[in-house]
Amino acid sequence: MNTMTKSKTSAAGQPLPLIDGIEKVTGQAIYTADMDGRDCLTGRILRSPVSHGRIISIDTSKALALDGVIAIITGDDCPLTYGVIPIAMNEYPMARDTVRYRGEPVAAVAARDAATAEMALDLIELNIEELPAYYTPADSRAPDAVQLHDKKPGNLEREVHHSFGDVADGFDKADLVHSEVFECAEINHAQMEPHAALAEYDTERDRLTLHSVTQVPFYVHLTLARCLDMDSSQIRVVKPFVGGGFGARTETLNFEIIVALLARKVGGKVMMRLTREESFVTHRGRPQTRVSLKIGLTKTGQITAVDCEVVMAGGAYAGYGLVTILYAGALLHGIYGVPNVKYDGYRVYTNTPPCGAMRGHGTVDVRHAFECILDRMARDLGLDPFEVRRANLLTAPMFTDNGLMINSYGLGECLDKVQAASGWQDRKGNMPKGRGLGMACSHYVSGAAKPVHWTGEPHAVVSMKLDFDGSVTVLTGASDIGQGSTTIVAIAAAEILSIDMARIRVVTNDSVITPKDNGSYSSRVTFMVGNAAIEAAKALREKLVNAAAKKLEVAPDDIECEGGTFFVAGSSQSVLTFQEVAIAALALEGTITVKGAFSTPIEAQGGKHRGGAVGSTMGFSYAAQVVEVDVDIDTGQVRVDKVWAALDCGFAINPLAVEGQIEGSVWMGLGQGLSEETHYEKGLPSHANFLDYRFPTIAESPDIDVQIVETIDPLGPFGAKEAGEGALSGFPPALVNAVADAIGLDANFLPMTPDRVLAALNKKRRAARKAASKKEATS
Amino acid sequence: MSEALPDFKLVRPETVDQAVAALGTHPNAQICAGGTDLIVNMRHGLATPETLIDLGGITDLKTITQDKAGLKIGAGVTLRELAENKAIAGAYAAIVQAANVVAGPSHREVATVGGNLCLDTRCQYYNQSHWWRKSNDFCLKYRGDTCHVAPNGDRCRAAFSGDLAPALIVHGAKVEIAGPDGIRYCDLADLYHEDGANHLTLNKDEIVIFVHVPPTDAVSTYDKIRVRGAIDFPLSGCAVACRTTPDGARQFTLATTGTNSRPVVVDIPDPLGTDDDADSYFAALEKLVQKGVSPQRTTTTAPHYRRLSVGALARRLAQNLTNTQA
Repeated sequence: MNTMTKSKTSAAGQPLPLIDGIEKVTGQAIYTADMDGRDCLTGRILRSPVSHGRIISIDTSKALALDGVIAIITGDDCPLTYGVIPIAMNEYPMARDTVRYRGEPVAAVAARDAATAEMALDLIELNIEELPAYYTPADSRAPDAVQLHDKKPGNLEREVHHSFGDVADGFDKADLVHSEVFECAEINHAQMEPHAALAEYDTERDRLTLHSVTQVPFYVHLTLARCLDMDSSQIRVVKPFVGGGFGARTETLNFEIIVALLARKVGGKVMMRLTREESFVTHRGRPQTRVSLKIGLTKTGQITAVDCEVVMAGGAYAGYGLVTILYAGALLHGIYGVPNVKYDGYRVYTNTPPCGAMRGHGTVDVRHAFECILDRMARDLGLDPFEVRRANLLTAPMFTDNGLMINSYGLGECLDKVQAASGWQDRKGNMPKGRGLGMACSHYVSGAAKPVHWTGEPHAVVSMKLDFDGSVTVLTGASDIGQGSTTIVAIAAAEILSIDMARIRVVTNDSVITPKDNGSYSSRVTFMVGNAAIEAAKALREKLVNAAAKKLEVAPDDIECEGGTFFVAGSSQSVLTFQEVAIAALALEGTITVKGAFSTPIEAQGGKHRGGAVGSTMGFSYAAQVVEVDVDIDTGQVRVDKVWAALDCGFAINPLAVEGQIEGSVWMGLGQGLSEETHYEKGLPSHANFLDYRFPTIAESPDIDVQIVETIDPLGPFGAKEAGEGALSGFPPALVNAVADAIGLDANFLPMTPDRVLAALNKKRRAARKAASKKEATS
Repeated sequence: MSEALPDFKLVRPETVDQAVAALGTHPNAQICAGGTDLIVNMRHGLATPETLIDLGGITDLKTITQDKAGLKIGAGVTLRELAENKAIAGAYAAIVQAANVVAGPSHREVATVGGNLCLDTRCQYYNQSHWWRKSNDFCLKYRGDTCHVAPNGDRCRAAFSGDLAPALIVHGAKVEIAGPDGIRYCDLADLYHEDGANHLTLNKDEIVIFVHVPPTDAVSTYDKIRVRGAIDFPLSGCAVACRTTPDGARQFTLATTGTNSRPVVVDIPDPLGTDDDADSYFAALEKLVQKGVSPQRTTTTAPHYRRLSVGALARRLAQNLTNTQA
């Protein structure tokens, strides 16, 4: 365990461009879809045209007879389920017997080119008997609804009931109790790179190689072994450059298995490049969520009790669902002092594409409701929104009532920074008509302390190699999906070895070369892989120090390492360069390979209650933000003019990357807050393109003032915690609170699209007119 | 990465006559300029031309000229060129503003005036993939027999969504059309039918080649309602021109887009007289616009909002023109 604090930094703490940025901005980076496809067949998926139905027959004979069609597979080719949660694997790569959403794969074609593959899809004759379909949790849970899955009565995938403290007593002690219901639309990651995978099957050796866009090559590897019934040693998984993930790829996706099945069937290479629509249909985004939340406060703003019910429309399969519904309750804790908390969560099956993990997994919609209600209660109590938050700050170190470990806590400092930077005290309440300020807070885990696939292994392993050329090669399975993890690993090595970054190369994500890593999700990589990289570098440093000590004829304890040199403490004569020490070290044992590992401490692994592992982490990031808006009351259009965001990330190993991550989080929060949502026409995705799925463009992107708060977490690498998710969930509530400040409209919906805003305004106007006329009539 | 582009033959005429001839000789041919709309539709299987006639080689169509007769804009002028034309930005503000808010910068770089005027109508049941439309039994506009927007109706409700047309219409623009029988002219407003499946009045093998805009004494402006400040087609758009009569009254000409299967000219019968109450005048104008348009369920944003917002937009634009002229 690294307990090193910030000191003598040479690389850590410096703002550095990402080391793989050059390839990306010059167009040299090879993404999966860019890979050499000359001797590849083209794979395409036939998708269900109905939302729910029983497959009577699939006739592929006409399609197979088409010139250029090499193979067709169906659900018959894979009788094994998969799913990211070992106890909830209920999805087939291609449907067998039953289809449960429009777009679910039912068959796949390998053909000599895309046009032939597409013609073949049209020639496959599907005979499906339609069954009732449900698109909302209310319809799915109706008493007469048919069951979408066996052993799931009421179409409940998972219900959660947690209670901590005495909730009734907490509400009794409150001076003000406020409850409201919030509706948050389903959203999608809309990552820039559409899904793609390239599979190659070597029939001589019965080996499979898969290149894919995944965030979790390790899970993909395990799933391929399971679904293709292969020994995992015969599979190689490579992750090339990836154009964004945000959770879309934190579980094995159907096309990754299908393309592998096709490659095995044809005994060769198959490339599958999904369309944007197919990438949307594969989904795994944030579910449509209804949050019913009741909070009790004292006159001074202290929280006395919380009662929260969450209902999620999870889509047709389990996926990450049970984790999502558990996160939603678990992270009611860990940000404020919440003494009495009741949580009831319902994850409901619906006939829509399966939801999954998305940046801020499980927490965003609940945090939204919480921060909106806190603001409204502050208003009723005559308190400033900042005061209410300050009345509930935690003191680290501590454990929450649901067993979450908190060792560092910089929310207070985040509040101070955004309050000062935004000019809140002078400007709030003094804005011109139609303009307003709102604020909110948020937090997120730095990696799940218990992985979904529990093996007992360390959470992360990093290897390092020093060879005759004096270069250091770092081997990691950490998946850089644009967040900068490769750079973090290089910085950790450079910092500990006190060498220039130029001497370091990082090799990533090839299962035959790099150590296994669980993947890029739950903001685990900097914390876990960063610590493992530090441990590996320390192991290498120890060998170098020993070699230097031997050469200088002193004890290893007398050797110091700084600025690319090794020297005897206090002596200016006895200095060796890194090269000299490397040669000396290699002379002792030849090529040096070392490794470092990271495991989570047991006390970080959460409460003992059922589902208590979800939400558990080594440390939480904390964020506060202020949003300034301008609202057009005639058209309902909301413009965000400026955002001030502060994030406690423990320590910014790479402040430039941290700044980018905070801006990215704010920006994704902006999308969810303003305009992003999916639309289904009886289960058909009407939004499945970048015209109708309206993420913000640069025209909507406000100036973002970013401030970094450093609390030096005792367990974090150099004191660091996560930086990529924590600042997201504060944005939507800060936006809604700002709109309330601007035009007096308390909105209980997301996103704040102009049609919704105008409809709510008109409803409010009508109610006001009605009240006025009633008053007139009675007076 | 995308749906496969079907095979087609590409023809690149250098003159308008060659283009018209090519349309006549190649079966199932379609013209293409910037391709920002057509190529997307082809990938979606919405257009399957055997031959594409690329107008990009006809240099005659790429000029903007201005003389005493007014303004002549070639159909091949790109939207960026039109948006950046400073010479006309004052007198024909609506036109330049409309060009500047089409889609995003990369679209405007290649998209053309002719393409925007002849833009296919749009609908949430039409602008989808082959799989999507097939799963929904296709639609009246293409390969199906039901309009999912108005299942009881007998025509396609797809919405015209070009930004330029209303701006040009309020300036009284005419289009010059080349065809097998030579050149003809028609008012731009008459280029369109209220039928989403057949919204252009062009005859077989005709091509819009120029737009003629008469000299103007009006001030004009264009804006559109959209969720995002770039990329989006108009949920509704509105162009307003305002002429001051000799007695100081303000006469408004107004046209919308995104609300119907064609650009709609909303008749504003009375001018705003110098003694009139401006607030009630503009409130009435807003109501006239709301009544004059007929947005349908062609986008995922509700028609009611589009009706309300285009009225509010029209009122604001008219007020702004009045104020800037005062």
